[in-house]
Amino acid sequence: MIRALLCVMLLAFPFSLTAHEMLPTYPKFTPSFIEGLYKTNIRMFNKRSDVEYYEVSVWDEEWNPIPFATSSSVLKIPHLGKVQFDLYVRKKDLNSVEYICSMSKLKKENITRTSVATRVCSRVK
Amino acid sequence: MSTKILKLAVLGTIGLTSFAQAETVPITGQVESRCVIVTDTAGVYGNPNAYTLTTDPSQGGVESVVRFDVTLADSYYARITSPTEFSSSPNLPDVVTWTGNTEVDAVSDASTMGTYESNKIQYGNTDQYDLTATGSTWFKTSSEAVLGGSRPYPGGNYTALVLAECIAK
Repeated sequence: MIRALLCVMLLAFPFSLTAHEMLPTYPKFTPSFIEGLYKTNIRMFNKRSDVEYYEVSVWDEEWNPIPFATSSSVLKIPHLGKVQFDLYVRKKDLNSVEYICSMSKLKKENITRTSVATRVCSRVK
Repeated sequence: MSTKILKLAVLGTIGLTSFAQAETVPITGQVESRCVIVTDTAGVYGNPNAYTLTTDPSQGGVESVVRFDVTLADSYYARITSPTEFSSSPNLPDVVTWTGNTEVDAVSDASTMGTYESNKIQYGNTDQYDLTATGSTWFKTSSEAVLGGSRPYPGGNYTALVLAECIAK
């Protein structure tokens, strides 16, 4: 019981401010207002104080890159900042899209002697 | 006199009634499946001899620790890759031999996560874990870089990156 409570508290109130989060886990594409383009909405939350930039990428099942469009493929998200953006892919690529990923971009001057790059990938089912 | 007091009491009551109105302010939230990667500890290389950099704590290093928080069971893979190159370093006189390993450091529920380590898949410097239960898992990654020919590392700053990935199934 105590373990379960601890687990819930940990997940609900993460005390560490060094996390990388991207939602939804399973995004759905819908037709956009531009003919031939489909879009999905991605939300990100930056709790990493050592990271300000995240790079978005789209991949097929074999991890080959797929062209996409967003307002910017590298997003500036301040510490504890939230970003919500639309991601567009062409209709002909829609069935190939498997993963949408965001990866932390570390500034050279911010890196300590070793550091952790994080990547979170949602899957299009 | 008593009439005045009565009037004041009535007016006061009316006034209080008008100030006792309440407004509700909604707080909305959304619960959905998610995987959060928390960078718990950035590693540090110790330098036990001239040609070795290692995160081994017994050699003066610090192992890197990342935590994965998962709110939906059996929906994510954790992949952790130990470094295979320096992201920045002085010019090196020889090639570097890299070794690294990742293992489960702690779990929030041993009964459901106890098999993570034995069930992991290793390829190259990457270890992949199937996160079959909800909760938190801490992974620690060690790294060692040995300069060829037992040559001494030039003085300067050396940085390397551990890559922690959470991939939806």
